[in-house]
Amino acid sequence: MKLGLLKTCLIATTALLMLGTAAQAQGVRENYKPVTDEMLLNPPAEEWLMWRGNYANQGYSELDQINKDNVSGLQLAWAWPMADVGIQETAPLVHDGVMFLQTNNNIVEALDAKTGDRIWQYRHVLPELPSAWGYQINQARRQKNSIALYGDKVILTTVDAKIVVLNAADGTVAWEKQVLDYQIGYSYTVGPLIVKDKIISAISGCSIAGTAGGCFILAHDVNTGEELWRFNTIDDPNNPAQQESWGEVPAENRWGGTPWATGAYDPETNVTFWGVGMPGPYAELIRGSGDGSVLYTNSTLALDADTGELKWYYQHLPRDNWDLDSPFERILVSQEVDGKMANMVVSVPGKNGIAFGLDRDTGKYLWSKETVQQNVVTSIDPDGTVNINQDLISTAVGESHLICTSVSGGKLWMAGSYSPKTQTFFVPLTEACNTVAPTQTEFTAGNAVGAVKFGPRVLPEGITEAGLVQALSVSPTEGDSKWQARSRPSMTSSLLATAGDLVFGGDAGRFVKAWDQETGEVLWEQRLNAPIGGYPMTYELDGEQYLVIPTGYSNAASSISSAFPEIPLPTGTGNSIFVFKLPAAK
Amino acid sequence: MMLRGLMAGMALVISVPAFAQVPPELLNNTRRQNGESITACFDTTATTLEFDREVAKLIADSLFVDLQTRDGFGGFPIDGAGFMDELQIAMTNTCDLFMGISVQVNSQFPEWVAVSRPYASMPFVLAVENPDWQSLADIPRDRKIGTALQSLGELVFITWAQQQPEAERWKRLPYANFELMLKRVQDESLGGMLLWQPSLVKLEQAVPAAKSLRIIDLNPVPAVDVHVGALVSSKDSFLRSQVDEAIDALVADGTITALMERYGYTGHAGE
Repeated sequence: MKLGLLKTCLIATTALLMLGTAAQAQGVRENYKPVTDEMLLNPPAEEWLMWRGNYANQGYSELDQINKDNVSGLQLAWAWPMADVGIQETAPLVHDGVMFLQTNNNIVEALDAKTGDRIWQYRHVLPELPSAWGYQINQARRQKNSIALYGDKVILTTVDAKIVVLNAADGTVAWEKQVLDYQIGYSYTVGPLIVKDKIISAISGCSIAGTAGGCFILAHDVNTGEELWRFNTIDDPNNPAQQESWGEVPAENRWGGTPWATGAYDPETNVTFWGVGMPGPYAELIRGSGDGSVLYTNSTLALDADTGELKWYYQHLPRDNWDLDSPFERILVSQEVDGKMANMVVSVPGKNGIAFGLDRDTGKYLWSKETVQQNVVTSIDPDGTVNINQDLISTAVGESHLICTSVSGGKLWMAGSYSPKTQTFFVPLTEACNTVAPTQTEFTAGNAVGAVKFGPRVLPEGITEAGLVQALSVSPTEGDSKWQARSRPSMTSSLLATAGDLVFGGDAGRFVKAWDQETGEVLWEQRLNAPIGGYPMTYELDGEQYLVIPTGYSNAASSISSAFPEIPLPTGTGNSIFVFKLPAAK
Repeated sequence: MMLRGLMAGMALVISVPAFAQVPPELLNNTRRQNGESITACFDTTATTLEFDREVAKLIADSLFVDLQTRDGFGGFPIDGAGFMDELQIAMTNTCDLFMGISVQVNSQFPEWVAVSRPYASMPFVLAVENPDWQSLADIPRDRKIGTALQSLGELVFITWAQQQPEAERWKRLPYANFELMLKRVQDESLGGMLLWQPSLVKLEQAVPAAKSLRIIDLNPVPAVDVHVGALVSSKDSFLRSQVDEAIDALVADGTITALMERYGYTGHAGE
């Protein structure tokens, strides 16, 4: 627990909550139009209804009022500071003229999307149980994509493992559900996916002592909160191969397998796709799993959205020893080839930056493509078997290896974007390596905390620029490099591709940029107050297109800031959103 | 001594936890005016919590200051994610001391804290039910051994095992839940369990059936102690030497030894 601060936080939070319901100007959005199933299936181009814009997780907008020819004329329309101190990973949503922001400490704000004026604010009151607090308080400081829109509701997942359903008009609580026991460590980090009356979500906190044996993707009824199904990512009694992959380690001694990114959904097949993270403990030497691949860690899972039944899985990195997590966004791509539709799952699923194309219906491996420098995967066989460099596996405690990519990526939570117009996948990446040595770093005596030592993040040999935007041409047979845009400072935000032939994103140097989708040329840049963060998005209101850029404190900036010492990082968090538009036509 | 040998053999790796980054606004860098008191902080999930509390009081008494205490700080993941962030906030803003820290030769704590000398050292023990076994060497190699996850004892066990031919090793499973580990010893899934002696004391208090366990020799695996000390905020370097002197005095005059006996801890005072 953050000693002393918890009580202060709670007192302040409670007071603010009370104020919020009485004296503060909590507004109401009159006549808020509900978000329907049809809207979620075919999101209006002028809105941004979910984390990555659509069920396919593409992070793409059909809007083209802002385009290659006029992007250099963008002007600031308005800006808004984001409530509390924390890390900037917010994903703004827009519907019916309202922008919904989920900031840290599970605060949700509704703003007028035209002016930025706040309509209402919800502050989640977190429970006062110090002994279970530490991890959840730390996680609460990440402003992240934790809300979804459905009907006349805003659905929020919280650090104390709750689903909280708010009325979108005024931010009051409609109902809430304690999904799992936060007192043993469970906590939500990412936001839910709404599919046909179901809230599909994925829990975190799966590396805490008390949560051994279970990490879950879950479905709840959106009206009643009743749990409909759950899938355990590290213990599947229906799959002997999964059990064998842990060697002699029974479920009660397994940790990890966290799905750290919100899943995608294919309405045609009614299947939802999720990425799963690394095992715990990180090192097999400590884990006890021998040379087992430890399924379903670092895998893509395809689950039936109605039942949670596993349709297929594919493991992107078996036998992880280095925290090279592979849970990131899975993007659904469909391309017509020779009159037939090829349906794929495309991703850079893991920190090592390797891009994959999989057959969406079967999970069959189609292709892969390296982006940043990495030394762990030596080859991928035609059947998709991933071969790892076993020389980098520590066989003794304290044995250190230089691993590329680093524990901070390569690729991290910052999402890529797929443009169906140019059939290009744009990925934000960082070039970095670090040493990894399995060792017991006991902190408080006798407690099971701390396992692997990571050295400082360093640039790979021969590389002087930490940041990389990789554009990959994607087809059913290959992913190929279309262009690369390198920069000294690391990439710190997700990317947004639009029908205006642009890709937007930003870096630790506080620059937001617009790249030409075809060539990678920078067509616009603007320096802001802090590293660009979260998930840039765009919407249209009253005939004007707006571009939303979150900024703020970034781990992706500070962890490798020694690689660009000439670029100072601001000392404040500066968490904000900046909203740009074109000058009004005369 | 064995532990020192092992530790000396390890490369000194400058460690940076994966996400130890704290927004500066959360750090209160103004000097705290505590007057005649110090604040000691505790991990409420610590194995030796009550023992550490008493030691903190003894240290404060030695320094003729009042003791304020703050509890919290539990529930961190086994990979330590977030731990250093919260520790930095706590040590900068609130705590003069953080009790119950594992003092190791290669300290993993960053420069914003100093580590006191240890006030107590307690060993790892191997607990079994089988009445015929006198040491680890008596346990058949096809039996599994449970080890306390992420512990120094586990480190030593693994290090020893990796130096043996594969056929000479026991299979080992990591446990964070010691009641579960006890259950596995009782149902014979495990031949024995290796855990910190104070953890065994705590287990016996929670589950009286644990008292039926026997402690046997860890041989051929080297013995290992955990040295327990405190973190001292780097803001006050004078305090650190005062705390060390207080610990030395409490060790020398037998106070810590008597305290350890009262708690049922084996091992010895100081280092």
